[in-house]
Amino acid sequence: MRLKGFVYAACVGMVLMTVPTLAHHSTAMYNMANPVTVTGAVKRFEWTNPHAFIYLDVKNEKGEAVEWEIEMMSLNHLRSYGWMRSTVKAGDTISCTGGAAKSGKPAMLSSLIDLPDGRKIKS
Amino acid sequence: MTHHVRTIRAAALAAALLSFIPPAFGQTPAAPPAQGAPPPGPSGAIQRRAAPPARILDFKAEPSSIRPGESATLIWATENPNAITIEPDLGRAAPRGSRRVTPAATTTYTLSVTGPNGTETRSVTVTVVGTSPAVAKAAGSAASVKKDIPRTADGKPDLSGVYGYGAGGRGAPPPGASGLPTTPTLKPGAENYKVVRAADDTGQYAGCLPPGIPQTFFVPYYMQIVQAPTHVVIAHEYLNLFRIIPTDGRPHPLDPDPSWMGNPVARWEGDTLVVDSIGFNDKTEISGYRHTEALHVVERFQRIDYGTLQYDVTIEDPNVFAGPWAIRRTFPLLPEYDRIEEFVCENNREYKDLFDKK
Repeated sequence: MRLKGFVYAACVGMVLMTVPTLAHHSTAMYNMANPVTVTGAVKRFEWTNPHAFIYLDVKNEKGEAVEWEIEMMSLNHLRSYGWMRSTVKAGDTISCTGGAAKSGKPAMLSSLIDLPDGRKIKS
Repeated sequence: MTHHVRTIRAAALAAALLSFIPPAFGQTPAAPPAQGAPPPGPSGAIQRRAAPPARILDFKAEPSSIRPGESATLIWATENPNAITIEPDLGRAAPRGSRRVTPAATTTYTLSVTGPNGTETRSVTVTVVGTSPAVAKAAGSAASVKKDIPRTADGKPDLSGVYGYGAGGRGAPPPGASGLPTTPTLKPGAENYKVVRAADDTGQYAGCLPPGIPQTFFVPYYMQIVQAPTHVVIAHEYLNLFRIIPTDGRPHPLDPDPSWMGNPVARWEGDTLVVDSIGFNDKTEISGYRHTEALHVVERFQRIDYGTLQYDVTIEDPNVFAGPWAIRRTFPLLPEYDRIEEFVCENNREYKDLFDKK
């Protein structure tokens, strides 16, 4: 796997992952059936509609930083999960779990984020 | 922890999360199971345990001590909630917020947050100097008290409020009140009005253009109704679309310009607000079908109880459909919100480079 050690491929219960999701657009470009987790340092947090984005520096197996584009839900959903524009900030180390882009581009639609203090929050 | 265990735990967590996401937005087809994917493993119970817990981050009163007649502000923050209440008096609450309270006597407020992990509570006391603690009311909580449907000065049901997107998004809708079919039949020769999407088409909402009527009601965003004596305003958080609808029974203008949201006029039929719209452009879809500028939509809004708005819509287009058909949805009142939010599509994407290139 390209980012072995940093990306944990998921392998169970995947049929349940195929329910239509509530994104503003189709999620066909993301591999929602096999969620992965990436961990890295937040470069930037875009608190915007129709989706919020986090840009995350994730180290690959060579130790090089690869920028992942983490797509999240729209602000109304994030607010309903308890998010604020200050929930994450540049420099925070977080883990994002979701479906990675099928093209192999370092991008994902995240459904869960582990925050620096150990809190887990839907995304 | 072994790598394997971490893998499974992450997967189960993600699966559980997505299984909690309510379906509502569009007709995104379910993808086929991944090649070689094992059968569903964890039971629903296991998955619920794996979802992130609801929790209270903060609950405080400022100031915590007041004199009689003064006010204090309750401030709270929660995460991953399914339901939140503050008792006594306040009832349902937003995930984060603040409310001014003016208790007559010393009162202990309890914030309850329910999530997949059960219910967590935290209490704060607002001391009113010189009073005894208020005795808890026996009549039930603010959240559970049965309320009458409010009415305006002219006796009409007051539809005003913020509503959620709630029920009816998944599966076959219940039969419309009219007894009409709930799916359309295409007129012979109109087969190409059924939408067929390419694999890398991200859907009708991806362009951030107005979904039209009724589809704007089927996106997972709140909407707000503001009712005045001569008009009703229906505002949607999604794209901040709005309609200002006269309710005095006036006819449509002659030959209105085709528009995304149509030309609506309304009248009351008893306690039901009936909105009749023509003047649509042909750029939107309804439940997977395109239409022409001859589209005619009749919406019936009825507040069937304090907390529920029923929405019955009848769709006609003589160029496309063999006859009228109907959709019903119900939208929950959200008393914990007093307005919808700004929504600007400033960060919309094309996503073309994310699709599988094979």
